[in-house]
Amino acid sequence: MRSRQTLVDLFSTFVRFDAETFSGWISDPKLRRSMDQLIKQATEGTSEGFWILYWHKVWQTQTTDLATNHMTAYLQEACYWVARKMALNLAGRQSTADLFQTAIARTRHVLKGFNPQFSSNLKSYAEFAFSNVIKDTLRQQQETDICTDWALLQKVSQKRLVDALTHAGIDTQTIAAYGLAWKCFKHQYAPNNSGTSRKLVRPDGVTWQAIAQTYNAERTSQLISGSACSPDQLEQWLLTAARSVRFFLYSTPISIDAPLPGQEHTGLVDLLPNAEQESLLGILIAQEEVSDRQMQQTQLSQVILDAIAQLEDSMQQLLQAYYGQQMTQQQIAQLLNMPQYTISRRLASLKKTLLKALACWSQDTLHISVTSDVLSSMSAVLEEWLTVHYQPADPS
Amino acid sequence: MMSFDSAPSTYSNLQALHLEIPPVSTTAAAFSTPGCRWNADLNQMALDAFLPWLRDEFTSSAKVWMESTLPSIWEFVNGTAIALHPESAISTLRLVLIPSEGIDTDELRVPQEWVDLPSWAADYYLAVQVNPDDGWIEVWGYTSHERLKTHGVYDAGDRSYSLAEDDLIHDLTVLQVAQEFCPAETRRAAIAPIPALKLTQATHLIERLGNSTLAFPRLEIPFSMWGALLEHGGWRKRLYERRQGMAESWSVADWLQAGVSTLAEQIGWQRTTLQFAAVRGTRSLPTAGLVRSLTIAGKSYQLQIAALGDRLTPEVSVWQFELRSANSTETIPAGVTLRLLTEDLQPFENNEDVAQEAVERLYIDVALQPGEGLVWEVQPTPEGYDREVLRF
Repeated sequence: MRSRQTLVDLFSTFVRFDAETFSGWISDPKLRRSMDQLIKQATEGTSEGFWILYWHKVWQTQTTDLATNHMTAYLQEACYWVARKMALNLAGRQSTADLFQTAIARTRHVLKGFNPQFSSNLKSYAEFAFSNVIKDTLRQQQETDICTDWALLQKVSQKRLVDALTHAGIDTQTIAAYGLAWKCFKHQYAPNNSGTSRKLVRPDGVTWQAIAQTYNAERTSQLISGSACSPDQLEQWLLTAARSVRFFLYSTPISIDAPLPGQEHTGLVDLLPNAEQESLLGILIAQEEVSDRQMQQTQLSQVILDAIAQLEDSMQQLLQAYYGQQMTQQQIAQLLNMPQYTISRRLASLKKTLLKALACWSQDTLHISVTSDVLSSMSAVLEEWLTVHYQPADPS
Repeated sequence: MMSFDSAPSTYSNLQALHLEIPPVSTTAAAFSTPGCRWNADLNQMALDAFLPWLRDEFTSSAKVWMESTLPSIWEFVNGTAIALHPESAISTLRLVLIPSEGIDTDELRVPQEWVDLPSWAADYYLAVQVNPDDGWIEVWGYTSHERLKTHGVYDAGDRSYSLAEDDLIHDLTVLQVAQEFCPAETRRAAIAPIPALKLTQATHLIERLGNSTLAFPRLEIPFSMWGALLEHGGWRKRLYERRQGMAESWSVADWLQAGVSTLAEQIGWQRTTLQFAAVRGTRSLPTAGLVRSLTIAGKSYQLQIAALGDRLTPEVSVWQFELRSANSTETIPAGVTLRLLTEDLQPFENNEDVAQEAVERLYIDVALQPGEGLVWEVQPTPEGYDREVLRF
């Protein structure tokens, strides 16, 4: 992959895949124009770090897609490398392009988790976050693959069910009917053995009757319209729902974040003037912050290093095993001949120690009043820091 | 190579708390449908895995709310409440575990009961993913009542508040550390009290909703009515029993004649022989009575009920409720109140006895007609107290 050279490119171009491999960068004219204009406005020379802070700030305060799109463009490389590395690890079971699409569709999630105040840099945070997104999707796919349709219907959240049906192009009223059928199914049917819930078999005839009875009794009060349903009809619906849930998990998400490169977005034109007004103020603030942030990040690193240095050797080894060698809690438990529970508790207590050190530092040195949200974002920063810090040196 | 074992920590968020489910003591309680029973099983698994961790890492005083009557909650809603530091009223913190078998962690969906009922609402709601086949749970996110109420999406279709994954805090360590660094942070949003139901209304509703062919009783009537029914422990338990097709379990006369019902026994009621001679003077014969233990402010007490023998008329008999320390050498401290209320929680004349100073016992005599129901209360509230309607 050829890396992008100019600031304008960094924030306005997108990866193009050709048969599952990287084939080049494609420019979005709107984004390019937007960056060109802003760079002209900024009187002093600006850096990559400056624009990250700038767009992140705009993203936080504006509801428009412009900032999301610039950030999505910026994050293409980080996302690509994570996807590529994971695809290699999976030995061809999933392509780089697929994993890339899965991850880049969650750009908003990444931006939400990023805290420029504490995070070392967006790229490394995004690598951490994208890799978690992909891992989580793989975990879900793996679990879904070994479930029967009936088990899968038990193991899907209402939100996911509705999202999957929507994605499948089903209209709102039908989704409501499917949703009710699903609730009635879950009410009348469940695993009766906690060890075999993945292998849940098709309900028997009596159960189908009960499901249909419940559905027909509830539909008048719970649905706007819809007629009485037979057990067969309900079974068809539920199987369709199960298929949609499966498909949704494997489908390449139609990214709501990334604009289609080369296409003109009419909405964007109207939004530009607004963004310009924001920008003047934003630029002033962002410029000041770049240097502050760098100093804070050095301090933050030192605070964590100091706190780790005070830990017992065995605890330091645990951090090394968990974050450095990326062993699972089960693997560590087996190695140390301890219950998994003990490992989980030790890790939690380690994290508590480190998080408290960060909380003290931000309270005493940065004079930030600590809230749950601040702590939550520090916790994410801490995870990222530990992951990066213990990471075995990467030749790339 | 990336390993493909099913352990979630291989793949999922490092911030989630991963715990193994201990060999489960499956609940023997009855439920009206397989779905309700499975809901109970998932809640039990989540609780069994989480509670030991909570007691070790947070506070040893963590107590399950309504522990002896959980089936009467799980029959109707998903979720289990836990109270932390219940001995000191100032710092009481309530958590509700919301287990889900879901493979995805797209949302935390909390039944409205846990949010809008004053006696059910909690400070924090924990999203728990349960993997029953591999025997683990993950606490993958949490939120506060305030956040859920102000940012959550209310779904009128199933009366729940939900928050998307991105709006939750994912590290439970944050909850712990927050108690230290920002204990004054707003955790709860304001909620309106639920107007009480009249006895006739409640009786009618229990009759109607007790029919187990009604699949979702919680959606059948306006939320405030449903909420009032659930908040009243006696009515909630009766509704639960009705839906299982059980006979009335709370008849004191039946308990004395045929033995205490299973449900009442689980809560702690026992048959016993009581001696009222010392205090009453005139009645020296031992009387068959009922007793249950209570823990109030860390001390053990006994609540006793017995018929006093004399009938005012053929229909009306007199019963005595008595509270005393479980230790015969100890007294009841000043301020403790024993109180009786009608079934719909109305006071009546001479319905309470207050310890003005340390006393040996508190008691109330009450004349009752057959079939009448009474609710007892003690202040301070005993641990694990849930209202019960005793029928005479």
